[in-house]
Amino acid sequence: MTPRRQLADTLAIGAILAVAVVALILLVAPSIVVVIISFDTRAYVSFPPVGFTLDWYAKVFEETALVEAMLNSLQVGITVTGLCILLGVPTALVCVRGRFPGTTALSVFVLVPHMVPGIVLGVAVLFAGALVGVGPSIYLQSLSIAVFVLAVMVRTVMSRLQRLDPALEEASANLGASPFQTLATVTFPLLLPAILAGAVFTFVEGFDNLSVAIFTHGFRDRPLPVELLALVQTTNTPLVAAVSGVQIVLAIVALVIVAATIGLDRVNE
Amino acid sequence: MHEPVDANADLLTPPVLSIGGVTKRFGPLTVLDRCSLDVAEGEIVTLLGPSGCGKTTLLRCIAGFWAPDAGTITIDGADTVRVPVNRRPVGVVFQSYALFPHLTVAKNVAYGLRMRGMAKADIAARVARALETVALSDFAGRYPAQLSGGQQQRVAIARVLVLEPRVLLLDEPFNALDAKLRGAMQVDLRQLIKRLGITAIFVTHDQEEALTMSDRIAVMRAGRIEQLAPPEEIFDHPATAYVADFIGSSNFWQSHAEGGRVNLPDGQSAPSHRAGDVTIMVRPHNLAIRPGEDGPLKGAVGFQRNIGALVEYHVATDGGGTVRVMAMRQERGRSIADGTRVTLSILDPNLCAVYEPQ
Ligand SMILES: Nc1ncnc2c1ncn2[C@@H]1O[C@H](COP(=O)(O)OP(=O)(O)OP(=O)(O)O)[C@@H](O)[C@H]1O
Ligand SMILES: [Mg+2]
Repeated sequence: MTPRRQLADTLAIGAILAVAVVALILLVAPSIVVVIISFDTRAYVSFPPVGFTLDWYAKVFEETALVEAMLNSLQVGITVTGLCILLGVPTALVCVRGRFPGTTALSVFVLVPHMVPGIVLGVAVLFAGALVGVGPSIYLQSLSIAVFVLAVMVRTVMSRLQRLDPALEEASANLGASPFQTLATVTFPLLLPAILAGAVFTFVEGFDNLSVAIFTHGFRDRPLPVELLALVQTTNTPLVAAVSGVQIVLAIVALVIVAATIGLDRVNE
Repeated sequence: MHEPVDANADLLTPPVLSIGGVTKRFGPLTVLDRCSLDVAEGEIVTLLGPSGCGKTTLLRCIAGFWAPDAGTITIDGADTVRVPVNRRPVGVVFQSYALFPHLTVAKNVAYGLRMRGMAKADIAARVARALETVALSDFAGRYPAQLSGGQQQRVAIARVLVLEPRVLLLDEPFNALDAKLRGAMQVDLRQLIKRLGITAIFVTHDQEEALTMSDRIAVMRAGRIEQLAPPEEIFDHPATAYVADFIGSSNFWQSHAEGGRVNLPDGQSAPSHRAGDVTIMVRPHNLAIRPGEDGPLKGAVGFQRNIGALVEYHVATDGGGTVRVMAMRQERGRSIADGTRVTLSILDPNLCAVYEPQ
């Protein structure tokens, strides 16, 4: 290699590294800023802070509305994830393994709700619900967000299924397993990492979605994003930052649990 | 065109597996064409043929993954048409082995027994015995990804053997292994199957593997069984020019037969059951080569290579075409150099095969 080529090479690799570093900073910096603000002693949001206090965190847990909103969102996140697993895994199985016309159309169709703007979907679900007598509630909210993010679960599971060696399921049948036994003991365990990866997304969406939830949530069961929106519209205290700080801590705890139990790379599979 | 090979009537015991006139089509493509084959208790039959001739398709029909469009497959006299895959007494060793990656070696081997609802203690005992049979007892707790190719293959074999299938189907089980390991594993596998007395169908497109493994070989060509016979017979008396060409190397000449005899290119003659234009086949080891020009079959050595104790000569004959000759290696200094003019003669005219003209 000529020295010139070598220099060009080094520069190219350096540029890629630099971009990665910038991306990393963009990813982490906002969270760090929020966390720093949440410790400020002043009663309004400003940067940099002038003191250190944990008062805002104490306030978060004193505000029953906030705590209830968090619990509501937790419930929605779990329900959305459950619904997406229940609806998404069979849908993915049918899309990939189904032996009738229309499976391809179905696999594209599941994307539609995700491509519609969340607000539009929220309004649509609200009216559709009213038609069958289901008003806005934590259940309608969970269902609407599940419809919104179902595609993520279906697509993740589908891509894993498509890469699964068909001989594995044939071997299982050959060894005496009924179709259901094969599903339960071979297919499902091998899909688990994909289901888990999908579950991370659906849970976060369920916990955090505002666009769909703003129309479909129950007015007595306000989810956290809606509560936070109201908060930032009416006040300007670091309380919002403290709520975000709590969420960040929870996210880190969740990641640590996943890493310790199933391993982070299996989520990437 | 000739009629499909008969299912071979010279079995002494009733066949364990009987395939009768099995035909399989994919759209306009006939992949299996009236295949018939009887396999006796404890026999190893090899399906041998080039890529795409339908070997895997026949195995998949026997295992029940695919249903034939016509014909019958019976096991111990019972028709299998309505028997679903998971109820057939057939064990398949897949080309990719298809070990369950999320289960340990022991759990892979236990899988079939578990699906049958066998008691835990019995399963453990039988799994231990099966792993011992394939010399993998020390690997029970490993995952498939932690095993070598040869070890994975043995797990795949143990996994079906533990179920004591009536018929064992092996689809190119050595394909993923390197050449050196193959040779040893072939002998081991044949001995294991023989020791356990299992009836097996073995698929390969490697003729040496077929000769090593089989009691009988079914040579397949475009969905048909062209010849079904023991290895020696396939090798010594190939039924068609196609089989002769596929098994071992062969030399072909066009000739003419009359009055029950056919003229050979070196001036001799051989008995012939055909009359008129024929193709004759002579094996390279049935030819003698000597320097000089004192016979009708003359030429020049164009290429030679040592194969162990043998030398293979490629002789460009004056009549056109290349003839392969296999000879014992000559003493030092007496071997025939490239370019030398030589004369060829057939050692035993009775071993020449006579086929319909090509
Ligand atoms: N699912 C299928 N649909 C259509 N055609 C198929 C299908 N499976 C196999 N075929 C065709 O059937 C023919 C026989 O295939 P098969 O797999 O039995 O060959 P093979 O003898 O096992 O070859 P190889 O030695 O390459 O494994 C091939 O021409 C193949 O293209
Ligand atoms: Mg094949």
